[in-house]
Amino acid sequence: MTQTIIWTIAILTILGAALAVVLYVVAEKFKVEEDPRIDEVEKVLPGANCGGCGQAGCRAFAQHCVESSPNLDSCFCPVGGNEGMQKVAAVLGVEVAAKEPQVAVVRCNGTCENRPRINEYGGYQSCRVKATLYSGDTGCSFGCLGCGDCVAACQFGAISMDPATGLPVVDEEKCTACGACVKACPKAIIELRNKGRRNMRVFVSCVNKDKGGVARKACKAACIGCGKCAKVCPFDAITVENNVAYIDFTKCKLCKKCVAECPTGAIHAVNFPVIKPKPAAEAPAQPVEKKEE
Amino acid sequence: MMKTFSIGGIHPSDSKISKDCKIEVLPVPSKVFISVAQHLGAPATPIVKAGDQVKVGQVIAEPAGFISAYVHSSVSGTVKSVGPRKDLAGNNMTHIEIDVEGDEWVEGVDLTDTLVTAIPEDNKAILEKIKMCGVVGLGGATFPAHVKLCPPPGKKADCLILNGAECEPYLTSDYRIMLERSKEIVVGAAIMKQVLGGCPAVIGIEENKPEAIKAMTAAVAELQASAKGYEGISVMTLKKKYPQGGEKQLIDAVMGRQVKSMGLPIDVGAVVQNVATSLAVYEAVQKNIPLITNVMTITGDCLPMEKQHNYKFRIGMPLSYIAEYAGGIPEAAAKVISGGPMMGKAIANMDATTVKGSSSLLYLTAEQTVRGVESACIRCGKCAEACPMGLEPFLLQKYARNGMMDELEENAVQDCIECGCCLYSCPANIPLLDIIRLAKGDVIKIIRGRGQR
Repeated sequence: MTQTIIWTIAILTILGAALAVVLYVVAEKFKVEEDPRIDEVEKVLPGANCGGCGQAGCRAFAQHCVESSPNLDSCFCPVGGNEGMQKVAAVLGVEVAAKEPQVAVVRCNGTCENRPRINEYGGYQSCRVKATLYSGDTGCSFGCLGCGDCVAACQFGAISMDPATGLPVVDEEKCTACGACVKACPKAIIELRNKGRRNMRVFVSCVNKDKGGVARKACKAACIGCGKCAKVCPFDAITVENNVAYIDFTKCKLCKKCVAECPTGAIHAVNFPVIKPKPAAEAPAQPVEKKEE
Repeated sequence: MMKTFSIGGIHPSDSKISKDCKIEVLPVPSKVFISVAQHLGAPATPIVKAGDQVKVGQVIAEPAGFISAYVHSSVSGTVKSVGPRKDLAGNNMTHIEIDVEGDEWVEGVDLTDTLVTAIPEDNKAILEKIKMCGVVGLGGATFPAHVKLCPPPGKKADCLILNGAECEPYLTSDYRIMLERSKEIVVGAAIMKQVLGGCPAVIGIEENKPEAIKAMTAAVAELQASAKGYEGISVMTLKKKYPQGGEKQLIDAVMGRQVKSMGLPIDVGAVVQNVATSLAVYEAVQKNIPLITNVMTITGDCLPMEKQHNYKFRIGMPLSYIAEYAGGIPEAAAKVISGGPMMGKAIANMDATTVKGSSSLLYLTAEQTVRGVESACIRCGKCAEACPMGLEPFLLQKYARNGMMDELEENAVQDCIECGCCLYSCPANIPLLDIIRLAKGDVIKIIRGRGQR
């Protein structure tokens, strides 16, 4: 009896030791060399795995950062923002330039009021499905389809549909500018734009490429490509191409001249202080100086 | 024992209300807008500009690729503009606007009714004519006909199948041309069969069209007795089942062969052409008439009998003009469909114009178009039973909703023919087709991206 127990223990011990040697040899032979810094970088990342950085997930991004260090220009985690990137840079012991924070902007103002519905859709509620079938419920074939693919794509709960307008609304506090909604929108309405000074932004809320008359007929708030905004802009920030104006957010100085000039109200200025006199007095002052130079 | 395809299929009511309405010729409106995208493949490139004088049958746009087709003017007059205009779905597409003046045809066109039965011997010249006349498949996909009639090297056609199934409910345009232009269709079949190397030709017609079967059989017999080159053409009666007119289904029904996943009909030695295409081939080869006309059905349960029509239209006519000419859009109509109720598209824009493949204006009432409230899938398997491609739509939709591309490909979502049998049979009103069609597009894109064909 005792002997059986002793034998069993002995055999198992020898077997265990032998297998341990085999495992060790194999593990040494097929070892995957991985930079330990990848783990460290991954630890300081937000872990949203949203893909907003252009990589497959946070671990892939960490690897990308380590590989491209010391130059981190091609790496930016929109969720962590500049703060997060500073942490990554600290781990890697390099410097990183701060990037302008961005936010998703919905460039369509085709509310139920501005854009009368001429068709009714009864199919599956998905913008992508709808876009393959036809141009949309309204005369505008470029505008928001209103089925909320962007809402479903947002991991951060930053987009919601406004039932009154039928358009998506971005919660600027929650938006991390990961760009998931930009990819989800089959009409390419959503754009990532710089947040701007004190969140103030001026942008063209329309992507309609139809000629003025056609666009205006389909939607009261459409950009008709008249080019008045481009003429009045003192900073050459506005270009009109394919009958639609676009404001370059890197050039725009928030003077709001174009907003006043737009005949259809397609240019929106958001988050400007409500008290009017001060910014109004400030705004024209800048361009005048520029002209004199 | 009548033949049909082996798996799946459904039996919707055939509702061929307008089957006894003779083909009438629509008068030409004062203005037409001819789209440059009248076929599958790359849109044609316009070769006319504003101010040009054009005649009926003159080329106004040239093919912009291998799979593309010529577009001809359907009227004579002055080109007013070339520019974007909203198509059927409301999207912008280049249209050529022509102000109609008179009805002057290009030279060399034979507009008489005489039947030309002698088939030219030079196959190359025939193919060139088919190409130059812009003939495309008129069964729905509008695939350029000359491409289909040139089998790739190493492949041989064993059988030419003429599709006279017209399995879509309501549509009667193919039925009418089989009755009224039966001999021309047979001549067209004989031409195509000669081009393909003299293989036999089978005209497949569903059992619910006995008159058409009779007319086509008589036409075949008469031509075989009176002219050369018509041997080997026969008419086959098929059991009524949707989607019999699907290319792969028809090959299965007629030849008993199955096309492999992502394969082409020619892989199993089959070439399928619609009867209307056959008529277009006849007109192109024997009469030099380019494809600028086709027949469309104006129908719907809410239309009184006297407003049901089969019209011979010219391309570029506004749909609103045709609807107006036919007696207006009925009040009960909630949806106007171009094509049949199963695979057709709802028209988002009645100002859109007719194209080569236009086959109907179908008015459906609110009760007919309303979709039921979606409920949970109980895996009853009705969709799998109905699928003519042997797929499992309930599974595919689950995968599609979760973005599981590998599983979708393994379960052959790319083989879906978008016939709508699953959606028709689903008791839970799940929008199976909508979801699967999108997934199919994504998967095909992935497969093409891998360079697998």
